[in-house]
Amino acid sequence: MRSLSIVAEGPGKYIHWGVIQISMANLIIIGVMILLFILALVVPFPSHDEPPDEEGEGR
Amino acid sequence: MTTREGEVSTKETYDPQNWTNRLRGWFEGLVPPGQALPARQPVYVASWIYVFGVLTLTALVVVIASGCVLSLGGTTWWHVSSVGHYVNSFHLWSVELFFGFMVIHLWGKFWMAAWRGRRTMTWITGIVLFLVSIGTSFTGFLSQTNFSAQWIAAEGKDGINSIGAGAFFNVLNPAQMLLWHVVLLPLGVGLLTLMHIILVRRHGVVPPLDAELEG
Repeated sequence: MRSLSIVAEGPGKYIHWGVIQISMANLIIIGVMILLFILALVVPFPSHDEPPDEEGEGR
Repeated sequence: MTTREGEVSTKETYDPQNWTNRLRGWFEGLVPPGQALPARQPVYVASWIYVFGVLTLTALVVVIASGCVLSLGGTTWWHVSSVGHYVNSFHLWSVELFFGFMVIHLWGKFWMAAWRGRRTMTWITGIVLFLVSIGTSFTGFLSQTNFSAQWIAAEGKDGINSIGAGAFFNVLNPAQMLLWHVVLLPLGVGLLTLMHIILVRRHGVVPPLDAELEG
């Protein structure tokens, strides 16, 4: 039960920036999501070396 | 109409007054032939940004499966059982991934204007699905049966009352919130997901903006 209560007891760290107030945990999650989004756009997708068919579909 | 085994009545097959025929025709017309589970996709789909839709769907399957396991033991067992604590955490983190994947999917589709090419309803069902998912998650936090749930309910009641929904959606009623969480809202999420997937399969995956300009 102690391990359960630790989760709820933490007050959490908050960032205050003018009218914006956000918890450190949420800020990190948003940052990771933006990073994942950028990586999804720039990291090449592994593909098979398969010649495209007549309809131009290559996967 | 009665027929022998292996025999198909021509009248039964083509009778437009037969509601079974009409229903079958409707089902068959939902997606073009061969597009329900295609083995091949257009070449532009070979990008990681196109993976987040199916990742969201996969996370949803885990959310529903872990939620079903949670429901086996009642409404408080995960507080006093190590297995229950594990399954509860599994449910929470699959929801976190579900929303993370869904929001990245949303960003990707927004920036490629995914409503192009008669895909308006695909976009709208996705947005409504996002909103209903938030409601499902909210009622889940209200169903934790702990002080966190009480605090969220006490903080949330004024917001819900301010939009006039408090009369029939009482966040201070844990039993009502639990039933919304495990019956009504998952039903909505399931139906909207089905509609969304059918529309994606019917109209195909949206091409990137530059692909359409080049074409």
